[in-house]
Amino acid sequence: MVEQRAPASAAKPIRVANCSGFYGDRLSAMREMLDGGSLDYVTGDYLAELTMLILGRDRLKDPALGYARTFLTQLEDCLVDALERRVRIVSNAGGLNPMGLAARIAEVARRLGLSARIAYVTGDDVVAHFPDALTANAYLGAAGIASALGQGADVVVTGRVTDASLLVGPAVATYGWQASQYDALAGAVVAGHVIECGAQACGGNFSGFADLPRSRPIGFPIAEVAEDGSSVITKHEGTGGAVTVDTVTAQLLYEIQGPTYLNPDVAVDLTSVRLTQDGPDRVRIHGVRGSEPPQRLKVSVNRLGGHRNSVEFVLTGLDVARKAAWVREQLEALLDPRPALVEWTLDRLPGPDAETEEAASCRLRLTVQDPSAEVVGRQVSSAAVELALASYPGLSLTAPPGRGAPFGVYEAGWVDRADVGEEVGFG
Amino acid sequence: MRVPLGTFVHARSGDKGGDANVGLWVRHDDDQGGQREERVAWLLRFVTPETFRLLCPEAADLEVEVHPLANLGGVNVVVHGLLGLGVAASTRFDPQAKGLGEWLRSRLLEIPDELL
Repeated sequence: MVEQRAPASAAKPIRVANCSGFYGDRLSAMREMLDGGSLDYVTGDYLAELTMLILGRDRLKDPALGYARTFLTQLEDCLVDALERRVRIVSNAGGLNPMGLAARIAEVARRLGLSARIAYVTGDDVVAHFPDALTANAYLGAAGIASALGQGADVVVTGRVTDASLLVGPAVATYGWQASQYDALAGAVVAGHVIECGAQACGGNFSGFADLPRSRPIGFPIAEVAEDGSSVITKHEGTGGAVTVDTVTAQLLYEIQGPTYLNPDVAVDLTSVRLTQDGPDRVRIHGVRGSEPPQRLKVSVNRLGGHRNSVEFVLTGLDVARKAAWVREQLEALLDPRPALVEWTLDRLPGPDAETEEAASCRLRLTVQDPSAEVVGRQVSSAAVELALASYPGLSLTAPPGRGAPFGVYEAGWVDRADVGEEVGFG
Repeated sequence: MRVPLGTFVHARSGDKGGDANVGLWVRHDDDQGGQREERVAWLLRFVTPETFRLLCPEAADLEVEVHPLANLGGVNVVVHGLLGLGVAASTRFDPQAKGLGEWLRSRLLEIPDELL
């Protein structure tokens, strides 16, 4: 049965929290956000550029995978309470397999004896347009999420949507904004961008760390989004860190590429954004202007680039440059065939007469890349190990050399909107 | 006076594929003398592709874009190709440019005494 919920009253902004800035972020954050105070939505971003590659490799091993598994773990713990407190959950943890993840969540709900509406959004997979790619996913906007919420979803999982869409979707579902309400949409995109990287909005990874309250773990952010798209960024009481104009500016200026921030729903004019401190741990975002979005959608394209390996030598004391030159020469002579890329870097030259052995030492790093796993694998690690007693005095390695690992190459592509068939389903 | 850029400038840096981006802005929280406007005006004048390449010599041959955002009291800088083919492929020290901003803040430069 679809349970119809009353829309939030126009006077009261919706409170949208973030509980994840990447796949691997604090596992307990969903629980912290649910328990820390009242909310309407918990959102989570699990998909960095690199994550699509990791999920792509998961899926090669098992087609049932391809989603962020930690999100499922979080829901096993939190779904009961989220439903009871009427907090809806929206995340892009579906990765390359939103339908598969929705089915797993539905299983969890059944096991817990819960009646929950689990929605998924698909249509971002455009690998057919990039035939030589491992993964190619268009960045979708808020429409699918808003539609799923409108159909009564308790949990929405998507694949590649823009990080801000995780907040814009709930805002559109609540306020019913039209596609042409660019200023409201732009305000929500900015709020979404500020909270998408989790603790980074509240003093994590912040130049001003010295002045922050640091006795507790840094809190995750909450955006209170009003009907006009303006918002207040805040965090739960009692959490560490702070929300100040500077912590919010740090996140606003992060990962942008110029004065226009493009999203599928709106082009945001970043020169219009105004930030005002609105009480302790409250920053108001207002004045944001938007205009018509681009016709084409950006695509995250990942290709397998080849294999890589690295070895790190420690050099100590006198004649560091000559020691480095010798071991380079020795090791390169052992590489047959030679990897396509062989790069050496020496981190620094130690100063004279150091008071500690560590200060007298430096690191020489070898990085190799090649299309073939064999060429960078055992060949390289064996060569490094076999030189242990036969090279410069004092030779040691910072870690035993490994067998190497594949690496991917990311690039941005573009597709026409008409080529993307966004769909909502229920698990 | 020759002081670190980070004396009153905050920074955060990151990656987009093979491009690094860094935000530099004048901090709000130590504005005792009411100098913030002057500091912002100085920062917006000071950061150009040319001066950025002096602070970050490895960008010497790369395309550098500087976008002023006066409303936020700072600039957004995009350094094309600093990270090679992107995080998974890059052999650069710090392939995601996480520490780039903190490195730039530690660079010494001549800042007018009246702003300090």
